Amino acid sequence: MTNQITELVRHAQDDLAASTDLDSLEAWRLKYLGRRGELTQVLRSIGQLSDEARRATGLAANKARDELNAALEMRHRALQPGAGVDAVDVTMPGYPPRIGSIHPITRVMRDIRQALAPLGFRAVGGPEVETDHYNFELLNIPADHPARDMWDTFHVDDPARPGELLLRTHTSPVQARVMETMQPPVRVIVPGKVYRYEDRDASHESEFHQVEGLAVDEHITMADLRGTLTYLVRALFGPERQLRIRASYFPFTEPSAEAEMSCHVCDGSGCRTCGGNGWVEILGAGMVHPRVLAGVGYDPDVYQGFAFGMGVERIAMLKYNVPDVRMFYDNDLRMLRQLR
Amino acid sequence: MRVPVEWLRSLALTNAPTDEIAERLTDAGFEVETVHRTGESWDGVIVGEVVAIAEHPNADRLNLPTVRYGEEELQVVCGAWNFKVGDKVPFALAGTVLWDPYAAEPTRKALKPTRVRGVVSAGMLCSPKELGVSSSHEGILILDPRVTVGTPLSEVLGDEVIEFELKANRPDALSVLGIARETAALFNAPLESTLRDNEPPAVSHGLQVDVEIVDPELCSRYAAAFVIDVQVTESPDWMRKRLELAGMRPINSIVDVTNYVMLELGQPLHAFDWAKIGGGRIVVRSARPRERLITLDGQDRELQPDTLVIADAERPVALAGVMGGAHSEVSEATTTVLLESATFNQFSVRRTAHRLKLRSEASRRFEKGLSPALTTVALRRCVELIEEIGAGRGDALSADIYPAPDEPCPVHLKFSRIERLMGVSYDREEVRQVLEAIGFGVVEEDGGLAVTPPYWRRDVTHPTDVIEEVARLVGYDRIPDTLPTGGVTDFVRGELDILDDDIVNVMVGLGFSQCIMYALTSKARMGQLLPPNLPERNEEMPLGTPQAWQAVRADAMNDAGREVADRLLPLHEQPVELRNWLSAEENVLRLTSLGTMLETLRANRRHLDRDLLLFEYGPSFRRREGDQPDEPRLLTAVTGQWLTATRWDDRTTVDLPYIKGLMDELLSRVGLQVGMIAGRESPVRHVPLLHPTFAEGEAAAIVVDGRTVAAYGRINGAVAETFDFEESVWAALAHLQPVLDAVASPRFTAWSPYPPARRDLALIVSTDVAAEDLELTMRRTGKQLLRNVRLFDEYRGPQVDKDKRSLAFALTYGAEDRTLTDAEIDRVHERVVHALTKRFSAELRA
Repeated sequence: MTNQITELVRHAQDDLAASTDLDSLEAWRLKYLGRRGELTQVLRSIGQLSDEARRATGLAANKARDELNAALEMRHRALQPGAGVDAVDVTMPGYPPRIGSIHPITRVMRDIRQALAPLGFRAVGGPEVETDHYNFELLNIPADHPARDMWDTFHVDDPARPGELLLRTHTSPVQARVMETMQPPVRVIVPGKVYRYEDRDASHESEFHQVEGLAVDEHITMADLRGTLTYLVRALFGPERQLRIRASYFPFTEPSAEAEMSCHVCDGSGCRTCGGNGWVEILGAGMVHPRVLAGVGYDPDVYQGFAFGMGVERIAMLKYNVPDVRMFYDNDLRMLRQLR
Repeated sequence: MRVPVEWLRSLALTNAPTDEIAERLTDAGFEVETVHRTGESWDGVIVGEVVAIAEHPNADRLNLPTVRYGEEELQVVCGAWNFKVGDKVPFALAGTVLWDPYAAEPTRKALKPTRVRGVVSAGMLCSPKELGVSSSHEGILILDPRVTVGTPLSEVLGDEVIEFELKANRPDALSVLGIARETAALFNAPLESTLRDNEPPAVSHGLQVDVEIVDPELCSRYAAAFVIDVQVTESPDWMRKRLELAGMRPINSIVDVTNYVMLELGQPLHAFDWAKIGGGRIVVRSARPRERLITLDGQDRELQPDTLVIADAERPVALAGVMGGAHSEVSEATTTVLLESATFNQFSVRRTAHRLKLRSEASRRFEKGLSPALTTVALRRCVELIEEIGAGRGDALSADIYPAPDEPCPVHLKFSRIERLMGVSYDREEVRQVLEAIGFGVVEEDGGLAVTPPYWRRDVTHPTDVIEEVARLVGYDRIPDTLPTGGVTDFVRGELDILDDDIVNVMVGLGFSQCIMYALTSKARMGQLLPPNLPERNEEMPLGTPQAWQAVRADAMNDAGREVADRLLPLHEQPVELRNWLSAEENVLRLTSLGTMLETLRANRRHLDRDLLLFEYGPSFRRREGDQPDEPRLLTAVTGQWLTATRWDDRTTVDLPYIKGLMDELLSRVGLQVGMIAGRESPVRHVPLLHPTFAEGEAAAIVVDGRTVAAYGRINGAVAETFDFEESVWAALAHLQPVLDAVASPRFTAWSPYPPARRDLALIVSTDVAAEDLELTMRRTGKQLLRNVRLFDEYRGPQVDKDKRSLAFALTYGAEDRTLTDAEIDRVHERVVHALTKRFSAELRA
């Protein structure tokens, strides 16, 4: 009897595979599982069997019924229009998760910090309201020196000490603060906000960010500066970038340099980003001026080092193709979500 | 600084292309801003010859010249009359792009064929202004008669000017000779000197000037010479052209020569009309109280007592180093001139020029520190040029007061030091060559060089200065890429390394987008954070008078509110004010960025209606007497009314527990223990907040170990309205730094391997019973066996009494060492229920 059932199931499975539409499927169901179906007939005939045979046959018949019912259901689903793997419309959008975004300026400052961390540079901060002493004097920019023209300065109204407090015009005062409290070797970067008394337009901000770098020890050279900058520029803009440095002037470094990288847009062949000459100005740098070292109590005959400073907004504009520096302060979610 | 290339090439004898000169000079530290080519914009402008001039039939003020240009001829309409038949003129056909002479701002525009009073004109004779060569639009530019008709104008008139960015350290680079020296050195080309070592004419004509320097600190040298038989006329074309290309307006022969020498050598000179100098005396002194001077620009100026002036016997005749006086100005009537060539103190000149807002070509040079040696060199050159152009006859050097002459001062440079600083080696001979090429004296000495800078390089005083000269002239291309070796900085736990990243990262994870806001704001904008109906507010005192503020503190705040005002939202304090500002909207440093954050929320609200979650993490600025301001770094977060829920179009409303959940998550992520563990109270407590910026009954403050570190809640509707919000908006402020120093890193705690059991409990309690107190009682009663308590529902409504609410908790029981039996759990759960009913008169809800 059980053999008969096994045979019946195999037969039914073959039959089922041959059914190609819902009508033939229904016919199949009636043929095997319907009230007069073949398997139903088997189950009905069980009562005539011996106890032992009845139990064995019952189990087998019930198992067969479950099996055929499951097969029927699967086949039924498969024969439904748009059924099976296509039952779900995966082109419907997912439910939006709610995750915020890091500001592109923060992202670039982090990128710089992460790029330089393996070289041993640590990030430190300093006050944004600075004294003339740290912002200028200790950086070899005495009062009434024409170099002061390089920084248009917001002054704090402080009748008790006129002219002493100002909004820092660069992150460089932190150089002096770090060296005053620390003996070489010094390797730090200073990400932070700076202020210029300068009207805003698409390429000028009165509030913007800089990252300052400083390395001082007995044998830090200008070649080390160049190597560090090359390393940094490639970390930010890709390993194909070339660096070139040209002589420049900053009161707190000597020799001073202006660094440019081969244009990341046109790869140096000339485009709008690089003004057609293939090079993009990226930062100012140089060897820390002996007077700055002496000013913080380092012996300039023993210690030497390099410093560099870069505008974070400028890097971000280049990297993300942002046309107007003021957009970083609009905090428009349409932009923040693009650049997250 | 504009350097005409033709002038430059007359001194530096190189035929290198101009672009290459510009590139190499930039490499060497003289940053070229632009190379101007006057002919650059003259596409289509050609040399034409006027072959006939006819009258315009309908207009007296116009004429009709016929111009031959190459093979063809064309009659055009013209409004100028300064040409005649046979003149060569710049001629442009329709389609050529020229400067619009009538536009207010420099504008270029294509020439179109036009009909002028009935006559068609398809071309134009050009004025200097239309060509962009000067501002003159008086007449047509008449060309040299020798030029060939039909050639492009740029070939006969084009000129190149290199414009340099000014650097503060090199006064010598503010001269054509200075740039020529560098160019000659860079291209290994000869330098043509216009300076002759000849003495000035020995003839004295008996004129005498008595010069006195009152303070040699302010004027280290004063030299003067007379010019007699002065003919004040126009200076020659070549000189006028060079002056114009360099950006100076030609004035008259005498003044032009002084300007020309200043441009050539870098030494400003001044010419006085000797007849106007009273008493035959020149006194270099500080101005006396209430002294006045009408300067060359026609301004009548009252002089400050520390202004350095040149005076005659009675009164000031010039602002030393800045600008001459109108009274002694050279005019056509002048017959005898006194030429001044002096060295004034750079800082004094700069102070005066700044104070008077009078930055002149002279002051720009003096403030960079000129060499006294240059004075007599320039004076001789000036006299020589005046004679050369026939503007007068030179006299003997009449005065040269130089009390403390500069001594040449050699700089001793150890040779090894160059490589030590640069990280690359330089050949000894090469070093000598580049230094000598720019006029340095080089003498070998033990282990190094004694380098004597020329008089025009007073900026070189230190071995590093010399190394810089070598490095930049050899070129930075020499320098290889290496990485720093040696030690690194000791680890210092800095806020930038840890705290900032953590707070920013957690906020981003919580769904907030980071903003960076301006630190500069106005009192009025911060005052907007207080409701408009607060007492005694006005434009002057948007934050209220101290008395008004005391009243607000007493009436509109609870203790938490006062703490929040002092620590997070100090709207009653005077902000740090600026002395100079760009706009009255931005004249103080912010005490809080909440106002600008709400503005940003509002701006984003225009294009987005939900998930407006913004935060900033940055400093606020608080005054400290006699010190730099305190700059606590504050977290400021704002949200709109709605959030996207779990499905596409569902939205949920922000409420207080939502914000509280975010704050607790933030606090726990930065290491503070939030919530009770085993009946121990958390150091973090939330307390009701009453502060006028926040809505009453919908705000809380967070206290950690007794210190108020955060506030959150719905913004008071009256405040939100001033920011144009009709719907509710929420904010959170936090200053976590002070409590984070004590934070330890998280530690692992093992959990019980035995399965826990949950029992739910719904309690009806009076509304004045705090959920926290219920939890505390549960935990204290359930002790070790009660592993966790979690509130999962609150119900207020018709099913319970009006002054009651129902709270539902899930309690998790378990033990460290065994699976609890049902009987054990029932026993402890009953104890818990009993404690709650007894202590809070709580009823169990069925």
